[in-house]
Amino acid sequence: MIFEIDLREVLARSVGSPHSDLVTRSTGAKVRNSIEESISGRSADSPVVLDFSSVRVLDCSCADEVVAKLLLHCRAGAAGHAAWFVIRGLTELHAEEIDHVLRRHSLALVAEEQDGRARLLGDVDDSAAAAWRVLADRGGAEDEDVAAELMMGQDETRRLLDGLVVAGVVRRAEGRYLPLTAA
Amino acid sequence: MTYVLEVPQIFDERSFDQFAAGYAGSEGDPRVLVDAHAAEWASPSGLLGLLCAGQALVARRGNRPLFTVPAEREVAHYWARAGFFTHAADLFEIHGTVPRVKPNPERHVLLEVTPVTVADDVHAVVGRIQERSAAILTSELGLDPKATMGFGMALSEACQNIVEHAGTGGWVAVQSYSWRTIGRRVVVIAVADAGVGFRQTLEATQAKRFGDRWGDAAALETAVIQGVSRFRDPGRGQGLAGIRRYLDRWHGKISIRSGTARIAIVPAWDRDEPLREGLPHFPGAQVQLVVPEVEREAQ
Repeated sequence: MIFEIDLREVLARSVGSPHSDLVTRSTGAKVRNSIEESISGRSADSPVVLDFSSVRVLDCSCADEVVAKLLLHCRAGAAGHAAWFVIRGLTELHAEEIDHVLRRHSLALVAEEQDGRARLLGDVDDSAAAAWRVLADRGGAEDEDVAAELMMGQDETRRLLDGLVVAGVVRRAEGRYLPLTAA
Repeated sequence: MTYVLEVPQIFDERSFDQFAAGYAGSEGDPRVLVDAHAAEWASPSGLLGLLCAGQALVARRGNRPLFTVPAEREVAHYWARAGFFTHAADLFEIHGTVPRVKPNPERHVLLEVTPVTVADDVHAVVGRIQERSAAILTSELGLDPKATMGFGMALSEACQNIVEHAGTGGWVAVQSYSWRTIGRRVVVIAVADAGVGFRQTLEATQAKRFGDRWGDAAALETAVIQGVSRFRDPGRGQGLAGIRRYLDRWHGKISIRSGTARIAIVPAWDRDEPLREGLPHFPGAQVQLVVPEVEREAQ
């Protein structure tokens, strides 16, 4: 079951702010701690959706704490488990800030656009991004299908896809590679 | 004996060094009079520069310097409406009549002089500025409504420099006015403190790498151009980069003065120098962001 987190609610709970602005590093750290508490002990079978729809201003420092550090902490097991994250409700500017902070930490994340389409943010090279696009368009595929579509060798394609799994934007199930989505 | 530190008639970023030279010359005198009686205009950076001087003089001497209010009634009223005297009263022994102004804000003062010490102050500032800046940015400056969100981000990051690095409180002020050299309206964010400055903030981690070249200018270049902070975390030090991205998009300008140096990312419409060294020393850091009106032909 998908677990959805409204960032504005977390902001209100964490710092008691009446505003919907995710700004300052210390606020970001409090919001991240609150998210980590709420997902602690939860099964990692389905993604956690971070919903930014109600967020007005997002600055770099807060994005670094809320998004990049959250990914780093959950991967490192600091929150007690591994978690998969998808992000939604971003404005163009939010996406730009998050993309920037993810790149600084060599991280990637799936963002769901308002029309439901998904896109990658962060540090993903063009070949990996193309492989991910194939998976996203098909809703998942085996490595040989992706290799055929991209006209690449199967080993190289598998390496790209495994890299996307490690990056946390693709999951592997029953021999297929599945793009991480909120659906 | 009292040392007279004259406030330039037009006190903006171009005359700031004149004021800083006067400030540097006050060393050793038992009492300082900051004389603004002949002042005709001060930009937000000028007003904050006065407060920084007051804060530094109090810290250095333990007593409040004297301050004379501008003689020109309109000037004093504008400074009052901009919130200057509210905070100056804590730092200076004020001589002259401080005008009483109604709480009704000046239309072009988007944010009165506001103290920034902790993260909650930044939240309050961003919350207040969003509504008030939207109309000015879109209707007067002709910017895309998206510019408003980025404006809050840039303001937040500029203020956080005080919270994270100054080691003391500072101030922020935002105003809209006509920029003389281009004849266009601009919105100006000024953020200033009299804290430790960029050089001292970065010294422990960066000085060795520069050797003899280490100084205020090298510290500013390291922070503004290279996006380096005193932390090893690669996610730190990106606030200024975020500000630069925003200003690049809207053809804005950033300038930062700290210690004896000043750095600027200069857009095509301005003729400022990118880097100046050997300036009169002034404490802390003074940041100015300028977002210009869209050129009519381009609209």
